[in-house]
This record gives sequence, structure tokens and C-alpha cells, in this order.
Amino acid sequence: MHLLSRKRKETFVKILCFLVTAAVIIPLLWIIGDVIYNGLAAWNISFLVSPVIQGGIGNAILGTFIINGMACLFGIPLGVLTGMYLSEYGQEGWFASMVRTTVESLSGIPSLILGLFAYATIIIALSQSATDRHYTAIASALALGLMMIPLVGKATEESMRVISNDIREAAIALGVPKWIRTTRIVLAIAKGGVLTGSLLAFARISGETAPLLFTALFSNFWPTGINQPMASLQVLIYNYALSGYPNLVTQAWGAALFLALIVVAINIIVRVYTKPKYKEGF
Amino acid sequence: MKARKSHFFKLQDSLFKYFLIACSLIVVGLFVAIFLMLFETSLPSIYQNGWSFLTGLVWDPNNNIFGALPAIAGTLISAAVATLVAIPLSIGIAIFFTEYAPARSKLVLSLFIDLLAAIPSVIYGIWGLWIIAPLIKTNVEQPIIGAIGFIPLFSGPAYGLSIFLAIVILTIMVIPIITAITIELLSKTPVPLKEGMISLGATKSETIRHLGLPFARLGIVAAVILGLGRALGETMAVTMVIGNSYYWPFSGYSIFAPATTITSKIAGAVGEAGGLEFSALLEMALILMVISLAVNFISRSLIKRTSKRGFG
Amino acid sequence: MQTKLDVQDLNAWFYQKQALKNVNVKIPEKMVTAVIGPSGCGKSTFIRCINRMHELVPGAKVSGKVLLDGADIYGTMDPMDVRRKVGMVFQKPNPFPNMSVADNVVAGLKLLGTYKKQELSELSDANLKSVGLWEEVKDDLKKSGASLSGGQQQRLCIARALAMNPEVILMDEPSSALDPASTAKIEELVKKLKNETTVIIITHNVQQAARISDMTAFFYLGELIEFDQTANIFESPKNQLTERYITGRFG
Repeated sequence: MHLLSRKRKETFVKILCFLVTAAVIIPLLWIIGDVIYNGLAAWNISFLVSPVIQGGIGNAILGTFIINGMACLFGIPLGVLTGMYLSEYGQEGWFASMVRTTVESLSGIPSLILGLFAYATIIIALSQSATDRHYTAIASALALGLMMIPLVGKATEESMRVISNDIREAAIALGVPKWIRTTRIVLAIAKGGVLTGSLLAFARISGETAPLLFTALFSNFWPTGINQPMASLQVLIYNYALSGYPNLVTQAWGAALFLALIVVAINIIVRVYTKPKYKEGF
Repeated sequence: MKARKSHFFKLQDSLFKYFLIACSLIVVGLFVAIFLMLFETSLPSIYQNGWSFLTGLVWDPNNNIFGALPAIAGTLISAAVATLVAIPLSIGIAIFFTEYAPARSKLVLSLFIDLLAAIPSVIYGIWGLWIIAPLIKTNVEQPIIGAIGFIPLFSGPAYGLSIFLAIVILTIMVIPIITAITIELLSKTPVPLKEGMISLGATKSETIRHLGLPFARLGIVAAVILGLGRALGETMAVTMVIGNSYYWPFSGYSIFAPATTITSKIAGAVGEAGGLEFSALLEMALILMVISLAVNFISRSLIKRTSKRGFG
Repeated sequence: MQTKLDVQDLNAWFYQKQALKNVNVKIPEKMVTAVIGPSGCGKSTFIRCINRMHELVPGAKVSGKVLLDGADIYGTMDPMDVRRKVGMVFQKPNPFPNMSVADNVVAGLKLLGTYKKQELSELSDANLKSVGLWEEVKDDLKKSGASLSGGQQQRLCIARALAMNPEVILMDEPSSALDPASTAKIEELVKKLKNETTVIIITHNVQQAARISDMTAFFYLGELIEFDQTANIFESPKNQLTERYITGRFG
């Protein structure tokens, strides 16, 4: 009797856990289904290659990639170099622990605040007056780059740190100076992890909207330079989803599908590339 | 030997080291600059509004009256409730994943959890706004209001866009964060102890309850706090579904009423704000930043404690 | 018998703990010197003082002189120069996993100097031949160094050290992680190497010391107890501790 009730309890826990899992997986499939269904309704070749002014999303796609690209130019080098410092030079001492605390804290700042920082330091500073603001995609890239630093930095530090000290000793015993050892041996071995971290950071900033809202703003036309307002998929989705006009909402769904494809594709690539081991968080 | 001279390498070595230190200093400098910028820009508001900024309920730019309490309350309540709801769900998924899920399904399942975390919040926003809000309005809010609307917490009318919907969406967004870490912790349960319990005839659920969860407890707390941090700072999805009405919960207690949060207030107002309102909005951002950093710090120190214990 | 390394009053510490006490020894040129002794006797610290790797460990300190061909390596010489002249092979094979077999051999040259591709590939082939690895890997030169078997990896590491054309080569129990067949190959190689360079090899295995070395140094609790020709050490040790150790009564 006792055994039977324990078995029943086990079955109950098992079913409960399954139901909970299903309850969370269903919204995921639901979102993906809705995005594909509503997005495909908007898609055709000209939708993807023509600018917003002609009812497409071409300039927003390009804008997202330009802004992300600029953010990478700034965020990846700083992240990699900081991570390299923390792994190979900053094992102890107050400076290293200050840098480590800063990097960790940076990852805890809401992206909206990074956007405010870019807005206050670039947009307001460059503007003639409050009524004539100079919006620029460069400010967006600053905010997104700041987001990338802790992501790339942590990935670099961790993938360099796990490399066995035997390898470092081998290089030392050959009389190789530390900087060559760090860049051409340790970093070269860790480059898979650095690449993975950078790709995930790219995916992450691709979806960030808050830092762009009042920095790059939006544009209906193809970009002609980087120091100007620029459309992005994220802001397009936000603006047009809230507009209420059915044709604009459809345009937003089309943009959402493209954005989701970027993010999902990167996650799957990383997944396939890094073997089926569970890794997340921290 | 065509090797270069050692003193040449030594010079390069120290140049490289100082270069890395300089880069790290840039990162530290940027962090300090963010903080200083927020603080400096907030000063006029801090000076003008004083403590009433934290207790005031009215946001009236025309008369320069700024009270941030509804936004602070909205942020704290929505994030806290969403995180609380997410805890049992996340632990349930983590147990299913580590104990019951067939090995072949784990790859897909973990990809799903990753995707749940990876979907951009603006997509959660458009989905919540156009798909879930109408559904919840007619199928959840209206029946509940009809049945138990006399309780202030569930009183009408049903708007669809509400603090309730914001909490639902935030819960979905927080779950993958807590789940991922919990799975990692549970899969590090010491195997000999686990085998010992199973050989004594314990069932899987008993093993989890008496061994896995106690071992992972501290780490799970850290994960929950990390999730709370994410919920506190979330902007887009919340802004799109919360309805952006400034007085809740001081206008009434209904969870089906529109409300606001720090992030949605800032996102909605900062573009047009000037003068003292801009300063007040940045003071709100400063409050959010302090809360976020504190939450982040607590979570990280807990994680460090778990890793010192040998797992995590 | 030409002295290659003249060690004078060598002391070494980890924080408060003294790991080497007043070691004085003259290592002869172009011979194999075996270093034996029980675990923790300081033999590893001793050879790490000879290429200045001991000082890299936190809390490490060294005093005394180590003269390489009469010049003190703790004097004005740069540690990086010392390590280029005194090569080292470790207990666990540690080829660079990011480099091919061929590149591993010339890794030091490639990272440090300006060599032409042709020169590097000739040097790589020559050193693979001299460690007897050429026949085994000549079709896999482009594969990662980490793809070889343990014994092959260790010979690759020896080739990598040899490619630097070192004056002295230090080996820290190079065959302890290997199977008997691979160990035999390493031993053959060590015996051959003394034609080209001076070898100092730590071994945990007393028989191995007897098989391959010309000179043997016995360490105990950080002190050099006895240093003599291997034949003398094994046939008529002067110190009782040495006798007890080589007959296997402790260690």
C-alpha cells in the first residue's frame, strides 16, 4: 500500500513536470507560429528589397545590419581585449577585480539606460537646440556596443581560462614572450569560444529596441550615411505595431519574421557548432 | 638564429600589457560615465522634487510636478509577481529535463529554452499586443470580472492591455533564465549520492526533493534574482502591453487595469521631454539602475558562493 | 669531461617552504644526467630552476648561481633567452592543439623569428626525422598536433624543443604517462640525443635511470645527496640513503 502510493506520487510528479514544460513550450511554438503566419502574409521579393516609403522593409534590414556592424566594431574588440586581460593578466589585485566587477555590472544595466546614455552624450550634445535634435545611428551603435562588451568579454575570459596551463608552460619553455603566447597560442585555441560568444552577442543586440528608439530613430528611406537617422527592424516593429493601421501592422509582422529568422538562425548555428552540451547563463 | 632580440620582445610585452590595461580602463570609464551622466542629469530633479519624487503620484510636466511612485510600484510589482510565478514553472521544467525527458528530446528541448530566451522582446510585444491581449480580454478578464468582479483585485472593466498581461509576458521571458541555470545546477548533483539514494529504493522525485533541490537551492535563488533583474529592466514588451496609464495601483487595485513601469514611462516620454521632465525621467532611470545593480550584485555573490562550494 | 652547467649554492623556496637546499653540481656536456629521488624531493624544482620556470609560480624565490657555459643565467641574461637555450619536455605531452604536426615542430621559430616557409618546412621535416616520427606522421603533417597518440605527441614535443637547437634539454618524467612501447622509443631517443646536446632527465623509475643515463643525481628532501657516474651510483653508492632508494626500500 505504501509502495503503491509512492509510485503514484512519482507518476504524479512526472506528469506535473511534463505539463509545466508543455505549458511553456506551447507559447513558444505559438509565437513562432504567429510570426511565421502573419509575417509570410507580408513577404514577397519587393517587400524585402524596397524601402519603407514604398511599403517594404529593405532599408530597415540594412539599417539593423549597419547599426549592429558598427556596434561590433566597437564592442567585440573591447570585449575580447578586456576578457583577455582578465584571463591572462588579471588573476589577482584590486585593478583586476575592479575590471571584473565592472564587466559583470555592465551586463546588469537595462539596455534602455544604455540608450539614455547614448542619447544624452551624443544626441543632445550634437544638437543645435531642443527643437532640432540631430539623431544618428552612431549613438545606437554606442549603446549596443556597450551591451556587447560584457557578453563578449565573459565568453573570451571563460574560453581562455579553461585552456590547460600545460599549454602555456609549453610556450614559456620555448622562450615565447607572453604577448605572443596570449595572442597566437591561447587566444588562437580559444577562438571558437570567442566566435560563439560574439555571435550570441550579435543575436542579442539584433533584438534590442529600447536603445534605438531615441538615438537612430527611424527613416523611411535608404540610408546614405551613418551619421544620420536610420531605420531598423526593431523600431519598425514597435512603431508600426502600435500604429493600429492594418497595413502597417502587417509590415511590422513581416519585419518580425525577418528579425526572428536572424536570431533563431544564429542560435541554431551556435548550437550545431558547439556540440550538444547544455550551456547557458552565468 | 634569425630570432628577434629579447629586449625587443620585452618592450612589446609591456606595451601589450599596458594596451590591455588601457582597454579595460576604457570599459571601466564608460561604466562610470553612465553612472555620472545619470546622476548629473538627475540633479535638477533631485534638487527640485526632493523626497516627494519617491512618494508623489502625479506626473504633470505642464506644472512641473513629478512623482515617480506609480512607475516604481508598477516596476516592482510586475517584476516580482512575474518572477514568483516563474519559479515553480522553471523548476518543473528543469526537473522534467534532467530526470524524465527522453535523452533524444533533450537537444530539442534545450534549443527551445534557448530560443525562449533569445526571442527579441519587441516580438513578445507585438505578439502580446495583437494576439494575446484580445484573447485574454474576452476569455480570461471578462469571465473573471463577471464572476468575482466584486473583489477589487479583479474588478472591471477589461482592457486587455493591463498589468496582468505585462506579468504574463514577463513570466514567459523570465522562465528560460531561471530554467537554464536550474538545469545546470541539477545536472551537477553529485552522482555517487544520487546512485546511493536510488539504490536504497528512492524514486526519482524523492531523489530530486531530498538531494537535487537542496544541493541546488542557493544557485536557484541566484537564478531567480537574475531573472528578477531581467524583468525589472525589460522595456519593449512591457511598454507595448501594459497600457501606459500612470496612476495604477493608486487609482484602484484591479490587475486588469492598465498601468506603467519605469521603463515604459521613460520609453514613452523621453523623446519629447525637455527641461525638468527630462531630468526627472533620468532620475527614474537612476533609481532603476541602482535597483538593477543591487539585484545583479546579490545574484553574482550568491553564484560565487555556490561555485566555491564546488558546484555551480 | 667538459662542464655544461655549473650550479652553485642553489636554493629555492615556495613561500616559506624551502624546496632546494644549497645544491652544488657540475653537469657535464653531451651526456645524459638522470635526476632521481622520491616524490617531493625537489627534483622538479631543480630542473625548473635551470630554465628559470620555477620563478613563475606565485610565491617562488631562488638564490644562487647557475652558470651555463660560464655565464650566470640569473645574471644579466633575459629569462626568455635562457629558455631558448635550455629546452624543456614535460610530464604530460603538450603539443599546441591549434597547430598542425609540422607547425608544432617549428612553433618556437615561427612565433619568435622571421623564417621563410621553405626553411621552416625543412627544419620541421629534419626534426621529425631525428625523433623518429617522420615515417609515422609524414602523411598527416597537416593534421592537428593533438590528433596523434600520446607517445607520438611526446616525441613531437621533443622535436619541438630540439628545433630550437638548445644547448641543454630538460625532461620532466617524459615517459611517465606513456605505455611501455612508447616509453622504449623515448628511451632510445634520449640515448641518441646526447650526441647533439646535453640532457637532464627526471625519472621516477630507477631502472630507467640505469638504462639511459651517464650521470645520476639523487635528491632527498631538497638536498643533493649524491652525484656520480651512473655505474658508480648503482654499483657502489657512497651514501646509505642512495643505496636504500635504488634498491627500492623506500620512495
